[in-house]
Amino acid sequence: MAIAKPTTRKLSDLLDPKFMARLDSLDLLSRKILQGKLQGERRSKRRGQSVEFADHRPYVVGDDLRFVDWNVYGRLDQLFLKLFLEEQDLTVHILVDSSASMGLGEPAKRLFAKRLTAALGYVSLVNNNRLTISLFADGLRAQLPHMRGRNYLSQMAEMLLTTDCEGLSDFEKACRDATASRIGRGVTIVVSDFLFKQGYEAALRRLIGARYDLYVIQVLSPQEISPELTGDLKLLDVEDADTAEITVSAALIKYYKRNLAAWCDELRSFCTNRGAVCVQANSADSVESLVLNYLRRIHLLR
Amino acid sequence: MEFLTPLVGLYAAAAAVPLLLLLYFLKLKRREALVSSTLLWKRAVRDLQVNAPFQRLRRNLLLLLQLLALVVVLLALAGPVLSLRRGPGQRYVLLIDRSASMNATDVEPTRLDAAKRQAKIFVESMRTGSALSWRDQSDHAMVIAFDQRAGVACSFTSDKRQLAARIDAIEPGDGVSKLGEAVVVARAFAQSSGGEASGTSGEKAARLVLFSDGRIADLEGIVLGDDELVYQRIGRSQDNVGITAMNARRSYEQPQEVEVFASLANFASEPVTRDVQLAIGPNVHAVRSVTVPGCETQTDADTFRPGQATLSFSLFHSEAGVLEVHQLGTDALACDDAAWSILDPPRRLSVLLVTQGNSVLESALKACPIARLDPCTPAGFDALDPAAFAARQKYDVVVLDNHVPGHLPPCRYLVFGAPPQGIDVNSPGEVENQLIVDWRSQHPVLQYVDMTNLFAARSHRLLLPRDAELLAEFNGSPALALLRRHGGTYLIAGFDILQSNWPFEPGFVLFCYNALSFLGAQVDHDQRHELAVGEPITIENVPRDAVVTVICPGGREVDVRPDPSGTVRFPGTYDVGVYTARASQGPPRFYAVNLLEPQESRIEPKDEIEFAGLPVAAQEQGVQQANVPLWPLLVLLALMLVCAEWFAYNLKSRI
Repeated sequence: MAIAKPTTRKLSDLLDPKFMARLDSLDLLSRKILQGKLQGERRSKRRGQSVEFADHRPYVVGDDLRFVDWNVYGRLDQLFLKLFLEEQDLTVHILVDSSASMGLGEPAKRLFAKRLTAALGYVSLVNNNRLTISLFADGLRAQLPHMRGRNYLSQMAEMLLTTDCEGLSDFEKACRDATASRIGRGVTIVVSDFLFKQGYEAALRRLIGARYDLYVIQVLSPQEISPELTGDLKLLDVEDADTAEITVSAALIKYYKRNLAAWCDELRSFCTNRGAVCVQANSADSVESLVLNYLRRIHLLR
Repeated sequence: MEFLTPLVGLYAAAAAVPLLLLLYFLKLKRREALVSSTLLWKRAVRDLQVNAPFQRLRRNLLLLLQLLALVVVLLALAGPVLSLRRGPGQRYVLLIDRSASMNATDVEPTRLDAAKRQAKIFVESMRTGSALSWRDQSDHAMVIAFDQRAGVACSFTSDKRQLAARIDAIEPGDGVSKLGEAVVVARAFAQSSGGEASGTSGEKAARLVLFSDGRIADLEGIVLGDDELVYQRIGRSQDNVGITAMNARRSYEQPQEVEVFASLANFASEPVTRDVQLAIGPNVHAVRSVTVPGCETQTDADTFRPGQATLSFSLFHSEAGVLEVHQLGTDALACDDAAWSILDPPRRLSVLLVTQGNSVLESALKACPIARLDPCTPAGFDALDPAAFAARQKYDVVVLDNHVPGHLPPCRYLVFGAPPQGIDVNSPGEVENQLIVDWRSQHPVLQYVDMTNLFAARSHRLLLPRDAELLAEFNGSPALALLRRHGGTYLIAGFDILQSNWPFEPGFVLFCYNALSFLGAQVDHDQRHELAVGEPITIENVPRDAVVTVICPGGREVDVRPDPSGTVRFPGTYDVGVYTARASQGPPRFYAVNLLEPQESRIEPKDEIEFAGLPVAAQEQGVQQANVPLWPLLVLLALMLVCAEWFAYNLKSRI
């Protein structure tokens, strides 16, 4: 595969060229070998006209005689049909949280999420997959549907770089809108902090289906994982301006961490129980190592 | 444990504790912090409240520590003391000597201050029976300050602050110490146990605590029970030189010549040389150096004789004045370093002779050294205005020859014949052929007068009041009597000299001379100018509406009004020095108040004082603080609590 130069300067703002060079060798993988619409570069479960042999089966009346394996007929005097694995394209749908909460953190979760999205999108586009990127807050805020090929790299980069994180989050509405426009089969990747007050279960249930693999990537900032707050504070929710008055103490921090761990565990077990994969990331970690190591290990990329 | 000032602590607590709580619970201004979601925080807070019931307490640890520190400070403010004394409540009488010797400065600043300090320590050590105490047994005390008089500074109370304030208010005096009256007063107060003293403490005898140097004049006359008195000795040194005697006298022959005698006593064992200064008013007349030998002590006979030195000055001074003898050295006791004497102007007598004509008497009087002899008829004397006569003081002596006047202005009278009315001398009749049977030849009036041959053909029979002084006696009646009435002095001879052979006797002229000298000396008899400390200044014959201003040595002025009989009494001669009495008219009068008391000048404190048969030794140690004040410990505890609070605060913030 040819080494791709960064197509726009803008994408290089998000991704390091060396990193992109390494991404060129990767491809997205669906754990289920799924059917695409166009003949793509990937094996589908559906056997069909392709070059890669899969199996033989006895001929039954009505089968296409073009696929009879005449060599076997010559040797065994029985009719067998040759079955081929059909290679199909993959639909990749990335849902990125761009509500106000993603703007927080040091380093910001927004940046982490966008770089991750850019990396995954880059991989998808380079591998000629059908890519849809949706930014959501309280509903879909921006969407680039059905991109295919390197030509879309700049478009993707521009969208990611120009969209700010603001507004409330309504995950369920976003998922509803996203699934309405979803076609084909493939992989759905959700990048968010998953700190939704109204819950994520109903929304995720919409995304989980027979046709799509679901990958949930939860991004948290180091300040959320282990808060460094002191004194008497009035905590202000960045989205709905809700307040919580706390006096920081060891016990409170302990209970916060315990709650955070419980929240993350719930999300993970929810996903695992439904065949989805949950990945938890710290915004202070490098996107590169997450993409190149961890996502390969869980077979989202290969 | 007891609290000295529980109310202060309570008031402070009432103000401070609610204030602290109010400050704590006032909404504190919280810092705002942006978070992605309050979701987890709210859950954490809820968990904190639900899962740890003591979290609220833990969160309030700072408040608790603050409250604890405040409470400790308040306790310290209430003045807790740990009493080391055991047993039921006692009653004490603190006898504080404020006599002259207690002004000695051998103990800084003075012995009286040292005594007051010790007394206050004693008071501090008493147990209070406040409501916050664990016992209801409280000590009561009263304070008596004494010199020759005893003054109750504070009656029985357990209020330590009142006792301390009253002890502080005790003023030093220059008097002589006499304990008898103080003991009587103390016992009287102790027996009439009323008021605050109640319960068991009233049944026990009060203990006397004497703060003194032990130089007390009347110890032998005081009977004490065993253990009734505790003697706290005050003072260290015995080095003192004092003037123990002083006298100034005009020569009778040469009235301008004044002889001044003074005696110095040295109470130290080493001889000392001192300059002694004689001053008349503000002018120094002479300074003389005198060496006073050291005192002699014989331990076996327990006799003590101070080193004595006498010195005399003679000077010519023809006016009135205040003489001051001052030893210029410095020693422990200042009030015996000077003595004063009031010098009267030299005077010769003016005599008024009231007679129908008596050449014998007149010529005998003329023979006497008098300034003036004015004859006057009885009618002329009766016509005089008595008030003006008394006020002008024109005549020193009035001689009444066979005249009973209608009124008697206060003066000195030499009476021949019938006694005047209104002086309690009755004359119910006459007696005849009287011979002298006895006379007092030692009396100044009859000095050198031979009355052996005196015969009176007729004499008034005199019935004298009991206070009259009988000088000579006929066989049937008193012949000569001396009587003081209504501010006047009466020398009464109950017979007409022309009815007797006295004019032919040589003793008659001598009698006249003596009588005039005696009565002339009586001019100022009621006016004693040299007083001991504490003796009142008495001025007689002051107009009713007049005000006499007495100027004390310290410059303090006191206005005194006369009583209905025209006598002014000023008892406040508590300090040595010259007192000036200034009336609205007339020249100012001077009074010298001197210590002149070897007992007080001997300032060596006694190790043992002996009452009537009961020796009481001085306490080995001074008054010890029997109450341990706990406030320093409490302040330390408060400091530690504040440190703990600071630590807890930091611990909380650092997480």
